[in-house]
Amino acid sequence: METSGRLASISSGVILGLSAAVAPLTQAEELKPPSSGGDLASADILDRYKKMSLDELMNQEVTSVTKQPEPYGQAPAAIQLITGDQIRRSDASNLPEALRLADNLDVAQKSSSAWAISARGFNPSVGNKLLVLMDGRSIYTPLFSGVIWNMQDYLLEDLERIEVISGPGGTLWGANAVNGVINITSKSAKDTQGMYVEAGGGSPLQDFAGLRYGGLLAPNVYYRVYGMYFDRGSEVFADGSSAQDPWRKGQGGFRIDTAGSGPNQFTLQGDLYGGDFKSVPGGQGTPVASGNIGGGNLLGRWTHSSAEDSSMSLQVYYDRTHLSAPFQSSGAIPAGPLKDDRDTADLDFQYRFPLGERNRLVWGFGYRFMHDQIQAAPIVTFVPERLDQNIFNSFVQDEIRLQEKVFLTLGSKVEHNDYTGFEYEPSVRLQWNATDRQMVWGAVSRAVRTPSRYDRDLMEPSPAYGSFLGTASSTFESEKVIAYELGYRAQLGPKVSGALSAFYNDYDDLRSLSTTPGTFVPLYFANHNAGDSYGFELSSDYQVLDWWRLHGGYDFLRETVHPQAGQTDFSNGLAETADPENQIFLRSSMDLPGRVELDLAVRWIDAIQAADLGATKTSTIPDYAELNVRLSWHATKNLDFTVVGQNLLHDQHAEAGVPGPAQEQITRSFYGKVTWRF
Amino acid sequence: MEVLVPAHRQGAARRVFGKCLNLRGRRGWSLIFGLWLVWAGLGTGEAFGQAVSREYPLKAVFLLNFAHYTRWPTNAFEHPDSPFVIGVYGEDPFGPLLDDVVRDETLDGRKIVVARYRRGEAIGACHILFVGQPETRRLDKVLADLNGRPVLTVRDVGNAPYEGMCVQFLTENNKIRLRISPQALKAADLTMSSKLLRTAELVPADNR
Repeated sequence: METSGRLASISSGVILGLSAAVAPLTQAEELKPPSSGGDLASADILDRYKKMSLDELMNQEVTSVTKQPEPYGQAPAAIQLITGDQIRRSDASNLPEALRLADNLDVAQKSSSAWAISARGFNPSVGNKLLVLMDGRSIYTPLFSGVIWNMQDYLLEDLERIEVISGPGGTLWGANAVNGVINITSKSAKDTQGMYVEAGGGSPLQDFAGLRYGGLLAPNVYYRVYGMYFDRGSEVFADGSSAQDPWRKGQGGFRIDTAGSGPNQFTLQGDLYGGDFKSVPGGQGTPVASGNIGGGNLLGRWTHSSAEDSSMSLQVYYDRTHLSAPFQSSGAIPAGPLKDDRDTADLDFQYRFPLGERNRLVWGFGYRFMHDQIQAAPIVTFVPERLDQNIFNSFVQDEIRLQEKVFLTLGSKVEHNDYTGFEYEPSVRLQWNATDRQMVWGAVSRAVRTPSRYDRDLMEPSPAYGSFLGTASSTFESEKVIAYELGYRAQLGPKVSGALSAFYNDYDDLRSLSTTPGTFVPLYFANHNAGDSYGFELSSDYQVLDWWRLHGGYDFLRETVHPQAGQTDFSNGLAETADPENQIFLRSSMDLPGRVELDLAVRWIDAIQAADLGATKTSTIPDYAELNVRLSWHATKNLDFTVVGQNLLHDQHAEAGVPGPAQEQITRSFYGKVTWRF
Repeated sequence: MEVLVPAHRQGAARRVFGKCLNLRGRRGWSLIFGLWLVWAGLGTGEAFGQAVSREYPLKAVFLLNFAHYTRWPTNAFEHPDSPFVIGVYGEDPFGPLLDDVVRDETLDGRKIVVARYRRGEAIGACHILFVGQPETRRLDKVLADLNGRPVLTVRDVGNAPYEGMCVQFLTENNKIRLRISPQALKAADLTMSSKLLRTAELVPADNR
């Protein structure tokens, strides 16, 4: 039983996502020429701009006041947007760290190479209710419902933005967008022209390097190629001894974009990556084992915009992933890795068009084919070991202008998967633009998490050793939620913006680990739990001075999961959640004289009650506060020097896992970085 | 086990976050929401002034970059030591910004200076000519005035390509974008570095 908890812990990674070349975002704010520029732009800012390369100048925001760009029109949803500039100015050295910039997420690092990331709860070991897409490619793995975060990375310099939507997104994005959707978007090749080099090192991030070159293939056809590598040391066990889990990874890729003024635009992009890691799968005092990851993908997208405000996009991609995860021995069962090789091919079509004066429609369809091949570990496997799966989907959504300032959005996705057949994910949203700068919205949505292979096909141990878990999981159905949301977003004066989103989620058919009456075994996954959760997310930006910006965020979450009447769950509903009730985030960004940037991020994360799958009571991960600092000096037009300190307040602290010999803690870390652009 | 942080500073952190720890239940909610409202409210006061636009500081620096990434024919300068002139036609959106940007700057040993031409006034010897937004209707006249002189013409904002102007500033996703016409550059006998060209959208030849 303990191993199943651990299987979930291999999953501490990331993945990619499908979908929705999201409609163009920012409405450039109306710009008035200053009557006298001098008092607005101190000599320092001019000096800063003069030291910048052309590429950097092109990436400067024209208006410094925070204005939440609004994806999908003025999306009535709990959206937080992380801009490329915010990522550049953060302490992040990889994608999961960059997600700490979204304060509607719970980002918990489990080990040197593993993270648990979720929105609105359900983050026991891997958040299985959060869908993640990278440039339209799904990185949520159907192996165990979640993201293998250590597979997922990108040259952070080349990220355009990350949209984090908390709340259901099933109507547009489909299954598994139960509690949220993350859309990671890289920059168009047009915006990454020229050479970029970064290199650095520290502890435990020992050394890293990244390189990108962007150029012109033909008039209005841009390309970039990039490569990156890092070598990261170990985190620690509770007593401070090394957890012996270093890892390293290399990745490279390209992107080609057309950027003409014509109606047709094309994107072609691809990545290749590989890495290996060590871990102590049996916990402190047991043997060290090795694992590895690898993969590649290729994606093409054609968008066609016509004059009448309508647009069409057609996207196809192929994605291949390889995972080899080590497992420990147990009694007579030897240690050994579980391997999974997965191929995914996906096609996605969307068409947006206005209908009459009041309606804006978007509809689309998609098809995904997946093939995977498992190689069993003695202690765990998936049966069948080889499986082909097909998913068909279609959706339609209509945004209706009821009045000048009131919009009603109705839609549903219909999806067919091989496990559970048809699934429906309708939603209704109402939006009231109370003033130009304030919006109130409400929504009721239904979303589902479809079974992953983990839910249906997991066997523990392998049949050769007499499985006692999983031989009866084949009836596992989708988990369902009906979510009620209410939100308010405002630009309060020229310097402050804020958003408040509150929710009540009613879950049904949640996963349970059920026992066979009389004989106890086999154990199997069923849908015997139900539950609910409520809470809110508050965030605000404040441009204090021209050179100083503050951000504050607060999340509150309360959730209950329990067996349904007359049903049982071995863990009594405790194993599906492990979430802080309160989270507080404060960030400060300052432009100091001498072309120095100082960025501080403080977070306080409440205590977490966590239980392994199959445990009957929870243990407490204590609350913690941590501080990350970034100091960067823009030495010349082309050269920056940056030092970063993360988790500075304590030698080590635990963010996830269940206290015990296998739980890892995260250490204080430092690194320095040199970046060169030309 | 935690301590590289001196004990007194730990105390401070605990005091700050200890308060947060107690923020449970309704009292906590309302307190935090109240704090946020106060914070949010702060920014609405007029005392805090207007939104800061960096449009013209950025554009001023772009103009300087244009000077560095473009080659003028030798006949563009009267004497070997003639200054390099950035002209602004009509209404000037820069205020003193442009002067601040070019102060102490040189180009191939030449001083860089700013000249301003009033609407209707003849355009003197210049190498870059910036035409502001309110002057859009007079572009024909400006171009006729220049009559093929080696001047890098820069149009402030415009939605449609305008034939004859070398460079056009656009704003897209809150960022400055450039639209450059290779044909206009050629007509003005100017050579622009590929480094600058590749950051821009090029006006196709058939748009002339």
